[in-house]
Amino acid sequence: MTARMPGAPEAAEAPEAIDLELPALLDAIYHVYHHDFRRYAARSIGRRIQTALIHFRCRTIAALRDRVLRDPAEFGVLLRYLTVQVSDMFRDPDYFRAIREQVIPHLQSYAALKIWVAGCATGEEAYSLAIMLREEGLLARTLIYATDIHPESLRIAQAGVYDLARFAGFSGSYLQSGGRGSLSDHYAAAYRGAVLDRGLRQAIVFADHSLATDSAFAEVQLVSCRNVLIYFDRQLQDRAIGVMRDALCRKGFLGLGTNETLRFSAQAAAFCDFVPAVRIYQRS
Amino acid sequence: MDLPAPRSRAILPVSALIALSAALLAILVIAALSYRALSARTEAAGAVNHTNDVEDHLHRFLSGVKDAETGQRGFLLTGEEHYLTPYQLALGAISTELATLRRMTADNPMQQQRLDGIAPLLTAKLAELADTIARKRSGDEAGALAVVRSDRGNVTMERIRQLVDVMLDTEQRLLVERNAVWETTVQWSSYVMLGGVAVLIAMILMIGTVASRSFRSVESDAWARRVQLALTAELQGDLGLESIGDKLLRVLVDHLGAQVAAIYVTEGKTEGKTEGKTEGNGVLRRIAGHALAPSIGRDPTLRSGDGLTGQAAKEGRLVHLRDVPADYLDVSSAVGKARPRELVIAPASSDGVVQAVTELGFLHHVDAVELAAIERMSGSIAVAIRAARDRSRLEQLLEEIQRQAEELQAQQEELRVTNEELEVQTHVLEQSRTRLENQQTELEQINTQLEDQAQSLELQRDELTRTGAALQRANDHKSQFLANMSHELRTPLNSSLILAKLLSDNRDGNLTAEQVRYAQTIYAAGNDLLILINDILDMSKIEAGALDVRAEPIALARMIDELGHTFQPIAKHRQLALELRIAPSAPEVLDSDPTRLQQVLKNLLSNALKFTERGGVTLEVAAGDGGVRFTVRDTGIGIPADQHEAIFEPFRQVDGQAQRRSGGTGLGLSISRDLARLLGGELRVASAPGQGSTFTLTLPGRTSAARATTGRHDAANPPPVTPHAAGPAPFPDDRDRAGPGTRTLLIVEDDVAFARVLYDLAHELEFLAVAATTAEDGLALARSASPSAIVLDVGLPDRSGLAVLDVLKRDSRTRHIPVHVISVSDHQRTALEMGATGYALKPVDRERLVEALRQLEAKFTQQLRRVLIVEDDPVLRDSTARLLAGDDVETVTAGTAAEALDQLRGSTFDCMVLDLALPDRSGLELLADMARGEQAGFPPVIVYTGRALSHDEVHELERFSRSIIIKGARSPERLLDEVTLFLHQVEARLSPERRRMLRDARDREAAFEGRRILVVEDDVRNLFALSNVLEPRGAIVEIARNGREAIDHLHARPGVDLVLMDIMMPEMDGLEAIRRLRGDDRFTRTPIIALTANAMIDDRDRCIAAGANDYIAKPLDVDKLLSLARVWIRR
Repeated sequence: MTARMPGAPEAAEAPEAIDLELPALLDAIYHVYHHDFRRYAARSIGRRIQTALIHFRCRTIAALRDRVLRDPAEFGVLLRYLTVQVSDMFRDPDYFRAIREQVIPHLQSYAALKIWVAGCATGEEAYSLAIMLREEGLLARTLIYATDIHPESLRIAQAGVYDLARFAGFSGSYLQSGGRGSLSDHYAAAYRGAVLDRGLRQAIVFADHSLATDSAFAEVQLVSCRNVLIYFDRQLQDRAIGVMRDALCRKGFLGLGTNETLRFSAQAAAFCDFVPAVRIYQRS
Repeated sequence: MDLPAPRSRAILPVSALIALSAALLAILVIAALSYRALSARTEAAGAVNHTNDVEDHLHRFLSGVKDAETGQRGFLLTGEEHYLTPYQLALGAISTELATLRRMTADNPMQQQRLDGIAPLLTAKLAELADTIARKRSGDEAGALAVVRSDRGNVTMERIRQLVDVMLDTEQRLLVERNAVWETTVQWSSYVMLGGVAVLIAMILMIGTVASRSFRSVESDAWARRVQLALTAELQGDLGLESIGDKLLRVLVDHLGAQVAAIYVTEGKTEGKTEGKTEGNGVLRRIAGHALAPSIGRDPTLRSGDGLTGQAAKEGRLVHLRDVPADYLDVSSAVGKARPRELVIAPASSDGVVQAVTELGFLHHVDAVELAAIERMSGSIAVAIRAARDRSRLEQLLEEIQRQAEELQAQQEELRVTNEELEVQTHVLEQSRTRLENQQTELEQINTQLEDQAQSLELQRDELTRTGAALQRANDHKSQFLANMSHELRTPLNSSLILAKLLSDNRDGNLTAEQVRYAQTIYAAGNDLLILINDILDMSKIEAGALDVRAEPIALARMIDELGHTFQPIAKHRQLALELRIAPSAPEVLDSDPTRLQQVLKNLLSNALKFTERGGVTLEVAAGDGGVRFTVRDTGIGIPADQHEAIFEPFRQVDGQAQRRSGGTGLGLSISRDLARLLGGELRVASAPGQGSTFTLTLPGRTSAARATTGRHDAANPPPVTPHAAGPAPFPDDRDRAGPGTRTLLIVEDDVAFARVLYDLAHELEFLAVAATTAEDGLALARSASPSAIVLDVGLPDRSGLAVLDVLKRDSRTRHIPVHVISVSDHQRTALEMGATGYALKPVDRERLVEALRQLEAKFTQQLRRVLIVEDDPVLRDSTARLLAGDDVETVTAGTAAEALDQLRGSTFDCMVLDLALPDRSGLELLADMARGEQAGFPPVIVYTGRALSHDEVHELERFSRSIIIKGARSPERLLDEVTLFLHQVEARLSPERRRMLRDARDREAAFEGRRILVVEDDVRNLFALSNVLEPRGAIVEIARNGREAIDHLHARPGVDLVLMDIMMPEMDGLEAIRRLRGDDRFTRTPIIALTANAMIDDRDRCIAAGANDYIAKPLDVDKLLSLARVWIRR
């Protein structure tokens, strides 16, 4: 058996076949595993299924569906392809700077704070917020919920251990975001790895939550949901934003990714601009 | 379209200006005429007056003359001077009057002429008067009278009077004339006045008309402007087409008073057309309607050219219809409907493109102004509609751009993932390349070995050819013997055995004790004989390779003791000394097959005793040649050198005499030698006639218990692991697929059938399986196939399974693999001490095997990490151990360096936490020892010390191992992080297991399946509702009615996965209950969600402060509660 280079498609399915087969696969996944990918942006999910076909060495989506439905373990693998799990600490420093300088002064006024990082992937963003809150003296009275649908990512996030090589970049972003000290105050490094401080880990509850099927679960003052909506179609975006709106208290804050906006959302009326440049909105 | 005229500077409209000018002219004319009439009248009046004056003056003149005459006459008569006064007065008056008359009639030459005529007469008269007077005065009264009587005076007077009368007449005539002129003038001026007034009235009427017209036009303009303004105001802001339509209609209806209205926009290919007409296939879509009859509301689209509306749109012209067709655009209201009187259909075009069509129905007449307004508004409507269209198109484009931005971002993110995956794959490839290189090196070595083996095989082949012949001979003998003897020997033997048994039983009680013992000896000997015969059969089995050997630990001392018991009586009987010795070098326990070993030793001893007449026999056990040496020495007859080989051949002895004298089959040595070989050793003889004989049995193998005395030595020199390629599989197995990252079970078992059973079982449990039948193959596979677990049989043909276990546990490549040992004999303790995961005694039933495999699986998937804590302070040691211990971390403690070394030798650790200050040796020395002694694994070490280290010390520490972390700060948290990191590193090396994924992929809905949820709530309805939500999802709902019951419940039945705690409860409220639970070590981690009744922020904070993980406000939102519970329920 020869190893096949990734990216060399064994058999790319014809586009029209994808149009027909993909919804059937996503339907089946929903009914069997209750993971709802049906309202994900079609082009993106199509691409990811293509990649998965190569990995599974399946010629057709139908074949992939049969495999995945027969064996939950295969679904576990497929799940990794269906979701895009990538994140950095203090990614887009301007966003974090705006949170630190403009949102946190508002958050100061709450006696107990709850923050929800929706779609936390491997946890970098949640830890970034925790570090910022600690530096602003708020962490002790803050509970951060970080949720995702991908159990593997949640486990990585929970461990709080990242490749040390990435921390050079993280530190740069941290300083650009207005960090008050050194990022290394918040982690211990050894063996090419770094583990985030215990206090940070204890402030975050990592949990399974789906913006596609679940509803709001707590009243929070800040929702940070970055680069999640881009994978959804308009309808699911509206649903997800609705869930976040339900979770936010009055005058609570919502932060989105650089290329995401509420402008075309059905929920746009429930929010007003707060820091438009970095897509921070306030619930009205 | 009107061109915008430059702003007019005129203050009035031209018509008004003309009218005004005419009026002005008329007034001027009238004024002039009137003036003239007036001045004529004044003149006339003046003339009359003048005439009257002149007459008056004439009269006065005449009377003056008369007065003068009168005065003169009076004087003349009287002579009285005072009669002259009127005369005197008259003289002045006459001249004044005359002068006045002269002046007054200056314009009338006729009168002047007459005056001129009067003047001499007057002079004459006055002269006459003066003459008379003078005469009188002078007394010439008669003269005076004469003069008077002369009548001259009278004549003159008469003449004067005549002239005055003429003048009066003239003046009278003039007066009449002038009166007539006056009359005429008055009449004429009346005419002028009347005419002027008439003209003025006409002009005023004209100006009024013009002004009214202009006012009306201004008013219409203002109205149109108001409508336009209203329209503009309504169209402010970013509006969609529909709202524009509604607003437009509202404006139109409000301002124009239309009763029914609709607005259509053109759709289809109208955009960009230069002609003001929609395409034939253009469609009109109604975007708004006002008071439309329901029948119209159905189909909101029209085709261009269809009906009036369509036609209007097509032609781009306004349609004004006075006679509305029946049923066309009826005005509809709740009470009925009416037909509009007039209909206006106005297309609205912008840049020559019809954008919309407005249709208005009126119950009143539509005038031109309204039409104009409608037409004018159409322009605005078109612009607004077009703007709205452009806006919505812009909005669409913006949305599309946003979509693309999102798509781009998603692609970027995906690219990042792919990139990361590629990096990982590169890393993996790198690793596998390294592995391949290693394998290649190994293969080269094996190749060399194979070449060597090929050579020795050639030699062996030659030998085989030689021995083949001998074998053939022996076989002939054996076959013959077996044929002749076997059966015939057994038959009588059986009889004698039965009889001996009967005798020894001594049923009649008539035998002495000695006789009974004899009988027993006979029985025993007979049994031996039977065994011997069986041996003969064994022999053939051995030669056929059918005899199996089961190795197990043999306590040598006990075995030698047993041999002593057996042979001492015989020796005593033959008056020989029998000495059994165990040298100090000998191990206590030997791994071998006890039955076979005993058989060999018994054989040797009985032979020795048999062939020794005097002297003695010695058995000595000693270590030697990497194993154990058994030496049996006698002082017997000895064997000539040429016979040394022969004695091992079956059925041969030194000479026939001896055989006859001693009895025996001559089979013993032959079997012994074969057995020795079977046990992996060899049997040799050294002897010469008369010198006695020495038989030496050498067996390989060491034992675990040997470490008790020689452990250090052994441990320092592990047996050289010779590269050994695994032999062929006993049956086709999964060795092609096995490798790192797979779930592979290695089966080391010489019983092929049993191995097969294990193989199938492994497949059932989703393992791959590889099988080996020998210890060497097993070890080779353990290294090459990277199994996840090993099932190891103790009785292997080449080496004991325990020896294999030992090698496995000493090799860094294999020591992490869990091993389950299976054996027929009980070596459980030893095996477990050596690091086996479990132990099973054969025969093993299926359930136990499954359990064993599950246990192995649990072992290698659980990934229990072992941490060694070296710390001299017992309290700190304990607390550190407690700090680090967890579900997947096992801690082992050591108080001294020696203990630590022992532990390191005994087992492997994933991490070591070391205090530098130890009682027996410094931590530095311990590390030095560890670095020197290769025997023990060198785990990553975390140096955890209270004192600050000097730079040199740090340097020194780092010399020993790169995997050293020095932590000056004695922060337990930091330590924990470090350990976490180590363990993570270990974990990261392992490829992700299938099992984990299996667990991950579990149904998301299964989060509540079988979970125990304690609902603490005093309201029955809430309880009911919560149960109805949770139970259908598989949760087990348990109930407590107040805080106290909840605490009791948790104490009685711990292990609840989630607590839903109401706050307002009788007896003990939720906050208090939460506080108490959190105060109890057992419940600090139980997830508790508080159910708060009121939404006061303060309350919620109190819940969190009390220790609740979160809260949810009542009334409960089911979805929210489920989501929150899913987040918190214990995983």
